[in-house]
Amino acid sequence: MNSLIKLTNISKSFGNNQAVDDVTLELNSGSVHALMGENGAGKSTLMKILAGVHQPDVGSISRAGEVVSLTSPKLALDFGISTVFQELSLLPNLTIAENMFLGREPKRSFGMIDTKLMESQTKAALAELGLTLNPSTLVSELTIAERQFVEIAHGIKADANIFILDEPTAALNAADVGMLNKHIRRMKDEGKAIVYISHRMDEIFDICDTVTVMKDGQHVATKSLSDMTPDSLIAMMVGRELEDLFPERSDAQGACLLEVKHFKLTSVSQPLSLKVHKGEIVALAGLEGQGQREIVRSLIGQHIPFGGTVRVKDHEISLPVAANNGIRQMSALGLGFVPEDRKDEGLFLNLPIADNITIGLHSTEGGLAPARKYREVIADTIKSMAIKTSSANASVASLSGGNQQKVLLGRYFASDVDLLVIEEPTRGVDIGAKAEIYKLLRQFTENGGGVLVLSRETIELIGLCDRILVIHDQTIVSEMVAADATEHNILDAALSSGSDATGSV
Amino acid sequence: MKLTLNPMFSSLLRVPPAYFVFAALFVTLWVTKPQLMNVNVMGVFVRQVAPLGILVLGQLLVMRVRSIDLSGAGVLLIVNYMMSSGIMGDIHVLFYIPLALLLGLIVGLVNGYLIGRRRVSAVIATLAVTTILAGIVQFFASGKPPGAMPDFYNDIYNTKIWIFPSPVAFWIVLTVLMSVFLSRFVFGRYVASIGENPTAAHFSGVPVERTVIIAHVMASVIASIAALVQSSSIAVGSIRVGLEMPIDAVAATILGGVVFGRGEGGVWGPFFGVLCFALLFVVMTSFGVPEPGKLIARGLIILLAAILYGMRAAKS
Repeated sequence: MNSLIKLTNISKSFGNNQAVDDVTLELNSGSVHALMGENGAGKSTLMKILAGVHQPDVGSISRAGEVVSLTSPKLALDFGISTVFQELSLLPNLTIAENMFLGREPKRSFGMIDTKLMESQTKAALAELGLTLNPSTLVSELTIAERQFVEIAHGIKADANIFILDEPTAALNAADVGMLNKHIRRMKDEGKAIVYISHRMDEIFDICDTVTVMKDGQHVATKSLSDMTPDSLIAMMVGRELEDLFPERSDAQGACLLEVKHFKLTSVSQPLSLKVHKGEIVALAGLEGQGQREIVRSLIGQHIPFGGTVRVKDHEISLPVAANNGIRQMSALGLGFVPEDRKDEGLFLNLPIADNITIGLHSTEGGLAPARKYREVIADTIKSMAIKTSSANASVASLSGGNQQKVLLGRYFASDVDLLVIEEPTRGVDIGAKAEIYKLLRQFTENGGGVLVLSRETIELIGLCDRILVIHDQTIVSEMVAADATEHNILDAALSSGSDATGSV
Repeated sequence: MKLTLNPMFSSLLRVPPAYFVFAALFVTLWVTKPQLMNVNVMGVFVRQVAPLGILVLGQLLVMRVRSIDLSGAGVLLIVNYMMSSGIMGDIHVLFYIPLALLLGLIVGLVNGYLIGRRRVSAVIATLAVTTILAGIVQFFASGKPPGAMPDFYNDIYNTKIWIFPSPVAFWIVLTVLMSVFLSRFVFGRYVASIGENPTAAHFSGVPVERTVIIAHVMASVIASIAALVQSSSIAVGSIRVGLEMPIDAVAATILGGVVFGRGEGGVWGPFFGVLCFALLFVVMTSFGVPEPGKLIARGLIILLAAILYGMRAAKS
């Protein structure tokens, strides 16, 4: 095995956030190299440096001892580095072929675009992946999995020898994953180097040879996978034993706070029902795009479901909830909704921390009420949540991701809610802040609150929650007690067709 | 391509540009025409912009919630016509005040419904409302042309409270009220949160739609107050539609540091934005610049405001 490329002592920071800190990584020909770590560990940043999207602050990239400079994605591509990023980057209003050749369309005389050539080459590239899609189909008409495959075809059709696959299987079912793996093995046999980023343990052990684990931007270890077990790998990623990261579960369970009954997302989806009691944290798990987000958003009028009823404590409300005041209606009943996208939907980045916290209290008052300053509430929130800031008047934009997330949660803790619906409680948050947030949520339930969370992180689901409801195809296909759940059986349930897996484990 | 500004310059950008423009014009006048720097002369000039200043109070409110209101032109026109044409018959002069406020309320509700609830583009909706109001006025004016304003209003317009002409004092009082309203009441928090991020405001339980509607209702009622003051300043009514006032109001608001959604200038930034228009007029008059030149200079001020808006928007 010979080295194709070597990244040496790479560091990169964004503002105060040290995304990658002195990482060295070598990629060899004919190997599939798994890159693992929690969200926010710096994997994507490191790969974007390799792909020429970001420039490292410190460190060098070299091949056979010679330094290469990858100052743009184009240069990286010319060098033979090909990337499939996790965000879907296709333009929905263009055809598959137009997307594949975007920015490098083949020309005929008079500068006309050679559509025929584009389409035939696209067809060939798709065929290599076993796809028979028509190249002139609009991307908007494809399913998520098909889009993901087009993205992969887009990434690997180039004549490259280093491939970066950033969570390529997030939207794929088992059969599709199998097809992709077959392809990856073929590339490996051809002597290419592949970086494979995924959260699915079984895939990692199935197709990868080597694993590099990153944590908080730093390189933890690089090992041969034959020396590892899934448990030792998780321990390496988390950097401590799971028991230290997650607070003790309590088995106190009180009255029912939230009950969803006869809920149907669309006219054809199977009905579902769920309950959240005082003192428990319930999770909705599942693969991307199975309807879990729409289910929770239906509770606050941000999505219109086919029908169903919601009971918050003693108040029964039939769905759909009004879009313009669903959030206010629910917060009057003590239900707080914490959106996933804290930058766009949660926080007012340029406003002070104080205003971001008090807006929750102010919004329950009339516009003509005097605006109380709530100085004590703000000070208490900053103190009890350990928000690291010099002053309550600092803008939220100046905080780290973890502290921003705490401010967002603090808004709800400060107002009078006893039921929280949280989309991704710790997205893009470092491990230390994660542990603190888990503790705060557990405290909240111990004080009589109930929490419904949505999470993509299986470790978080297992460690934080009491019960896990697995969503597949817009309904609940399985319910498990988190203490007994494993990554494997959650994934099994999430991939199931739904008909045979109903019922509890 | 990313525009990078040095930190010194970008922190200067946070100070409402109106303060710099005002200071520059003030110094120019002080140095070149010191004899004009007395309360009486200045009072006369500032009095001219009092209706604009009042209109700006509404404009800054809607711009803080990321909207805009150009229907002030229509409100001005219809109030002006109502007062000068005698179309209301033989009513007591004081009765024009509630009538004007009622008109403002109706226009504001229409604007608020269209923009807040139906999500119509604010520029298009308020321009359309102005056009309709202009049509209504022209319809009535063909039978009953506008005439002289009631003396009652002209007389009040010419009084003084201490050193301030009454319209200027009135404007200052309204500005103080608006400033207190926005800084001391929950409504002001709603406005600030919607300006910063309407989606996040919605998710944190702020009644976004209602706030936008109320802002538009207030803006139109304020426009009707501005129309009463403006009508008091003229002897004879007119049915000419002028978009100058609302456009000037937008420019003064931007000069005052309030751009769509961002309100660093508060209420006093736009206040000085309006004073800039007053001083500009004095400077040009004292230098003998003829009308066309004044028009061009006003256009340049509006352009300056637009450029500043672009720079501040790019920064955020």
